[in-house]
Amino acid sequence: MRIVIGEDLFLLREGLVRLLTAHGFEVVAAVASAPELLRALVDERPDVGIVDVRLPPTHTDDGLRAALRARGQVPGLPVLVLSQYVEQLYARELLADQAGAVGYLLKDRVFNDDQFTGAIRTVAAGGTVLDPEVVQKLMVRHSRTEPVARLTPREREVLGLMAEGRSNAAIAQRLFITEKAVSKHAAGIFGKLDLAPSDDDNRRVLAVLAYLGS
Amino acid sequence: MSFAYLVSLLLLGSIAFALVREMRKASPRPAGLRGHIRARGWGLLLLPAAAMAAVMTGHVHALAVAELAVAGALVTWAPRLAAKLAPYALLALGLFGLILAKAYHDGFSSQVLYGLVPAGGGPFRRGFVLPQAGVFFVLGVWLLLRVEAPGAGLARTLIARWLDPRRGGISARQGLLLIPVTAMAVLLIGPRYWFGLWWMTKPVVVLADAAIVTASLVLVFRSRVWAATVAEAGLLVLGAYGLLIAAFWPSVPGFWYGFASLASPSYGTLGTAVQGTALLALGLWLAPRVMREHEMLPADAELAARAQQLTQRVQTLTRTRSDALDTAAAELRRIERDLHDGAQARMVAVGMSLQAAERLFATSPEAALALVTEAKESSSRALTELRDLVRGIYPPVLADRGLGDAIRALALDTPLPTVVDVDLPGQVDLPVTSAVYFSVAEALANATKHAHARSVRIVVSQAAGMLRAEVTDDGAGGADPAAGTGLAGVERRLATFDGILAVSSPPGGPTIVVIEVPCASSSAKTSSC
Repeated sequence: MRIVIGEDLFLLREGLVRLLTAHGFEVVAAVASAPELLRALVDERPDVGIVDVRLPPTHTDDGLRAALRARGQVPGLPVLVLSQYVEQLYARELLADQAGAVGYLLKDRVFNDDQFTGAIRTVAAGGTVLDPEVVQKLMVRHSRTEPVARLTPREREVLGLMAEGRSNAAIAQRLFITEKAVSKHAAGIFGKLDLAPSDDDNRRVLAVLAYLGS
Repeated sequence: MSFAYLVSLLLLGSIAFALVREMRKASPRPAGLRGHIRARGWGLLLLPAAAMAAVMTGHVHALAVAELAVAGALVTWAPRLAAKLAPYALLALGLFGLILAKAYHDGFSSQVLYGLVPAGGGPFRRGFVLPQAGVFFVLGVWLLLRVEAPGAGLARTLIARWLDPRRGGISARQGLLLIPVTAMAVLLIGPRYWFGLWWMTKPVVVLADAAIVTASLVLVFRSRVWAATVAEAGLLVLGAYGLLIAAFWPSVPGFWYGFASLASPSYGTLGTAVQGTALLALGLWLAPRVMREHEMLPADAELAARAQQLTQRVQTLTRTRSDALDTAAAELRRIERDLHDGAQARMVAVGMSLQAAERLFATSPEAALALVTEAKESSSRALTELRDLVRGIYPPVLADRGLGDAIRALALDTPLPTVVDVDLPGQVDLPVTSAVYFSVAEALANATKHAHARSVRIVVSQAAGMLRAEVTDDGAGGADPAAGTGLAGVERRLATFDGILAVSSPPGGPTIVVIEVPCASSSAKTSSC
């Protein structure tokens, strides 16, 4: 799997390269600034671009903007955005094009390499991975607003885990229920959020979007 | 003729009407001659004034008799009305004196008994007319104020305005100099023709004289500083002109330089020279005073007000600066303690775990692995704590995106449905941005925690150099900035930027918190807001 990395801190960049190489990923470019990153993403068309939100030249959200621009030029280009902090605002912007293949994680999640590589694979496959911290904030916020208010507490829990990018199997394991029960809850969620039947991955993205948007 | 007749009739009619009205008013009957005189008071002055007017007509005239009769009737039966009319009689006599002086000056030669002097015999006697007229004027104005005759209020207001010490440092006398200077200039520039200009015939000259006199009087009452300035210029020009006349132009019939007739060569030349020198000297004496007055503008009163403003400003700045320093010091202390007890301690734990793992690695790999996992968790927790700390110092989203998106992000993290309306066209100073962000965050936290609100609305806008944020919730109300430390802290924080916090929170709600801060903090930096 071909990866492009955009990270300005040398230690972190090299750490990521080492980690990913050790797990069998191929790092085709590791750059340190937003313009370089945009070029690498568009030229290399990696399976996943791993992007730090804050990059030179302005050291604000240059990385995020470069990733969004790259997705503007190459629709659906899988991007996993890493940051020292997470904001629902940025999650919305990343998901706004409804194309999926987006990840948004705290940098600390790299510590858990199984979870991290899992997230990379989910994003590469077109799924959505949101940091548990974002999902937790969503949970707090959306207990009372439509249409998420129509969901049962269990369904909301399943939706949260879906937003974190977990598969049905992982959700089943986490909630100590069967995969079949998870599928049932998922169907309930899609129904209540008025999501027409389509392929499962896309519906998951739309469900998360509805979650964010409400 | 019929017009004058009509006017006299109307005048007599109104006097009769006023007389009858006055007589109806009951007044105690005075006893004895002295009592009668005392009761008449200033009204008695009407009798000599009427007599003087009657004598001036020169021969027995029906109008003069009627005039005396009216005056006598007024004094006898309407003493209060007579007293109110007396000052006007004096002023009328003064006015007549002015007209008489002008007539003599322009060639009128008949003898008229004006006041105590039979004027008209020669230039010496004519010279008494104008001073007497002046005395009548002064007496008239004084009496006007003394008996509170109609018009006294206006006169008093004008005088008070002119004497007002806040109007600048030039004394009343110096402004008054404009009156003799104007009179002298009017005399000098000619009774018949203005500097020989043929079209300046007599009526035009009279009009021009009247205009000049009016203008200088207006100036005297409106601005003593400018009256003194014009008088100063007049003194210098007239003085120099007088000396020039004395030296080169000794005899010009029909022209007067002050008291000296330019028609008589010897006396006129001497008078002109003396007067010219006096005027020039007076002008030179006045010059530095007038100049100082102009340099001192704006007036002392304004300077005093400005000084007071500055003093208040310094007091405010001293207080807010001390508050800002206290806040900053407390903040640093909190950050130090958080780092010391939090991330720093955790990193020590990480190091210790890793060191132990290193030691156990050969003998007990499983125990070592457990320690490494523990170290990883510790570092993760340290990161979380650092993240929270950074948010409290300067929220990253504020640094990345500015105030608008930072407040939107804040609203997204609030459990309440929150509407955000941000309209910020201009630049805002970074410290101001931060202060407003934390103020809004505090208001939002209050709405969430204490007010039990169902929804919140945040409006951020910019107008006239002010940044305004309004946080409205539909909660329980009853918020008091004086009671809790949160809003009081916000108030102190905003005061550093000359900002204000206003809270409207009646019991039962809604609560409206308004924050207003100048876009540019009061440093030398500029900002386009």
